[in-house]
Amino acid sequence: MKKTMLTTILAASALVFAGCNSEESTNGETGESGAFEPSQNIEMVAPAGAGGGWDTTAREVARVFGETGILEENMTVVNKEGGGGAIAWAYIHGQDDSPYNLFVSSPPLMFVPLNGQSEFGHEDFTPLANMIADYGAFAVSADSEWDDLNSLFDQMKEDPESVTVVGTSAPGSMDHMQFVRIAKAAGVDPTKIKYVSDQDGGALTSVLNGSVDVFSTGVGEVVEQVRAGNIKILGITAEERLEGEVLSDFPTAIEQGIDESFINWRGFFGPPNMDPAAVEFYEAKFQELSESEEFAEVRKKYGWNEMYMNSEEYEEFLNAEYEEIEILLEEIGLGN
Amino acid sequence: MNAFDGMITGFQVALSWEGILFVLIGVIVGTLIGMMPGLGPISAIAIMIPITYGMDPAPALVMMAGVYYGAVFGGSTSSILLNAPGISGTVATAFDGYPMAQQGKAGKALAIAAIASFFGGTVSVIMLMLLAPALSSVAISFGPPAYFALMLMGLTAISSLSEGSTIKAMISAVAGVMVVTIGIDPQTGTQRFTFGNVNLFDGFDFLIIALGLFAIAEVCMLVLNRKNRSLSDDQKLGSLKVTRADLKEMSGPMTRQSFVGFILGVLPGAGATIASFISYIFEKRISKNPEEFGKGSIKGLAAPESSNNAATSGAFVPLLSLGIPGSGTTAVMLGAFLVLGVQPGPLLMTDRPEIFWGIIASMYLGNIFLLVLNLPLIPYLAKILSIPRPLLISLVIMFSLIGVYSISFNVFDLYMLLVFGALGFAMRVFSFPAPPFILAFILGGMMEQAFRQSMTISNGNLAIFVNSPLPLSLILIAFLSLVIPGLLKWRGRRRLAKM
Repeated sequence: MKKTMLTTILAASALVFAGCNSEESTNGETGESGAFEPSQNIEMVAPAGAGGGWDTTAREVARVFGETGILEENMTVVNKEGGGGAIAWAYIHGQDDSPYNLFVSSPPLMFVPLNGQSEFGHEDFTPLANMIADYGAFAVSADSEWDDLNSLFDQMKEDPESVTVVGTSAPGSMDHMQFVRIAKAAGVDPTKIKYVSDQDGGALTSVLNGSVDVFSTGVGEVVEQVRAGNIKILGITAEERLEGEVLSDFPTAIEQGIDESFINWRGFFGPPNMDPAAVEFYEAKFQELSESEEFAEVRKKYGWNEMYMNSEEYEEFLNAEYEEIEILLEEIGLGN
Repeated sequence: MNAFDGMITGFQVALSWEGILFVLIGVIVGTLIGMMPGLGPISAIAIMIPITYGMDPAPALVMMAGVYYGAVFGGSTSSILLNAPGISGTVATAFDGYPMAQQGKAGKALAIAAIASFFGGTVSVIMLMLLAPALSSVAISFGPPAYFALMLMGLTAISSLSEGSTIKAMISAVAGVMVVTIGIDPQTGTQRFTFGNVNLFDGFDFLIIALGLFAIAEVCMLVLNRKNRSLSDDQKLGSLKVTRADLKEMSGPMTRQSFVGFILGVLPGAGATIASFISYIFEKRISKNPEEFGKGSIKGLAAPESSNNAATSGAFVPLLSLGIPGSGTTAVMLGAFLVLGVQPGPLLMTDRPEIFWGIIASMYLGNIFLLVLNLPLIPYLAKILSIPRPLLISLVIMFSLIGVYSISFNVFDLYMLLVFGALGFAMRVFSFPAPPFILAFILGGMMEQAFRQSMTISNGNLAIFVNSPLPLSLILIAFLSLVIPGLLKWRGRRRLAKM
């Protein structure tokens, strides 16, 4: 009995596989001309739970792709949560050369492997296109004695133990390292920065009630609190001032004489051995999306900045970023 | 705008046909999803977000709020009937709800849970309305040292969660604290006890432990105790009637725990789970007959149920007035706001009063709907218990597996569910109580993080816990709650000896 069942299952799965193969060969994903045209549903993985930054980006991109008809095939968003992204990355890595499994990512794709928490990093995937840029902000309570980054960093140089920085990500990840990067450029000893991680939603609270001094976070997280007069922004990590109400009031680190910036980039990747024709296809589609009016509206809604890069530009950018982060992590003793 | 004018604006939104319709849709969807073991408010809200695309923000958010508290309301059903908590906030509900159902009082237990939920929900909405602006300052007064003290206070309750051997309860609690350390340590990024396995990096989801220790272990016990299948059909449901005496008995816990739940809900990070545990323990501590708790006590059921629903409204305080999501659920809720172009925060009340007050006003309505919809459903729900035992057992196992799988669609989690099921079963057999394990698991993680954050801030100086009044007073309460029962017992014994 058991044996017959097993045989049936095997036979059935063999049929399914055979079906897949024949479909692939007959539909000819890569046609005679060498161009790629998707012939089935495209899976877009958000390597996190519903509601976060990755999830929102993936869902908005999939929605606008469908509504504008830029992509004819359906794009479905799938959440694969766990290990700060590592579980989803391992999954995509296993897709080898599939042109139908994409994922959205951002700097944690470098931080997580550099901290030894993922086997795979950005160099293990095929960069398709970068879409948006976000920036970090350093906030303090409204009644804080510091008014700009230099007064904060001066105190940190004199008495590093007196200042605590809080962020929502783990040490060695984004909130921590964006601060370390700017502080180091200002001459603060990066090994002496006190950072606590609050992943239960208490980071902003801790700054407001004075338990900690500085909140290192994303620009989008602080606008409402600044408008309400609860906190002030000492500096942001963008190269130039941002556009928009309130946002344009935030001074950059660069204009305060600290020559350093940090971009929270967000873009799309495919499995390691994706066919160049497929890469070209997605590159063009993402560019079209980035230039569409509909996506401009999405950017406006979430306060994201336009930052399109094609596959090649993206790869160069990522490699340069990676090198810089690696050195910095090693310096503060978190490198692997 | 004062609260009165605000509520008029709010009711104009909530009582429009759109408002009523979407509250209704929200609470129905919420309860249905909440009733399924393993699916809680997070899944419910996430599922509903795409539906709000393009909707007017006020009715859409009224609906989303309905989904949230509806799911908490519905979560008690599977705790009571199957000992399979649907959401973490209803674990404590099972402590007395499940024994009641086993005694053939399932209908009554569900009715009590519904009434207590309604009461907690309504009282907390009133508090939300009156106090939301003022309470936002309470929400931000808690820094890491105060959180540490609060968690410590919660942990002292382990002694009252134990039946029989205190040493066994302590061992169980220590095991809970040990399990919570598995994963990537948030303060250093170091892996602890993961053996390099990616699936362990995030530690265990609460639900895996709760369903393993309670539902799967219970299933094993059911299989083992074949003799107890003697309940007849009408006994299983029992009378739905909640008598005046019952109401009187539950009125005290309901009133007290609605306040406790609300306040704990306001604190970011505390939320419905911790609120329900603390309320349960609170009532057990002050009860004249604490030995009834855990054996089907009405008080023990009403306390966590009013508390977890009150905490849900409480969680709206930091979300609406500060823009701070205090839990995973409210973080997803914040996402729902942002999708609709509404930014919660200190200015919401002045910028978008129709949304701020509309949500609050709709919660009165939603709670009434929930009660009216749920009471007539009880006889049908309780029928679950008359399902033949082999089928029921398979259903519980199936729902537990679905619930755990839906956390992150990871098969590894299913094996872990079985591991914790086996652990739970062993604990039952050797009479180690499971509640201290779960409480230590919930509180232990936050306590450790709060402690280490405090230590970093103070450069290792322990005085940070006694230097400011808030943590100091919480630590004192924790200390007294440990010492006073012992003292009372000792005095009582002396008095007896004198007689």
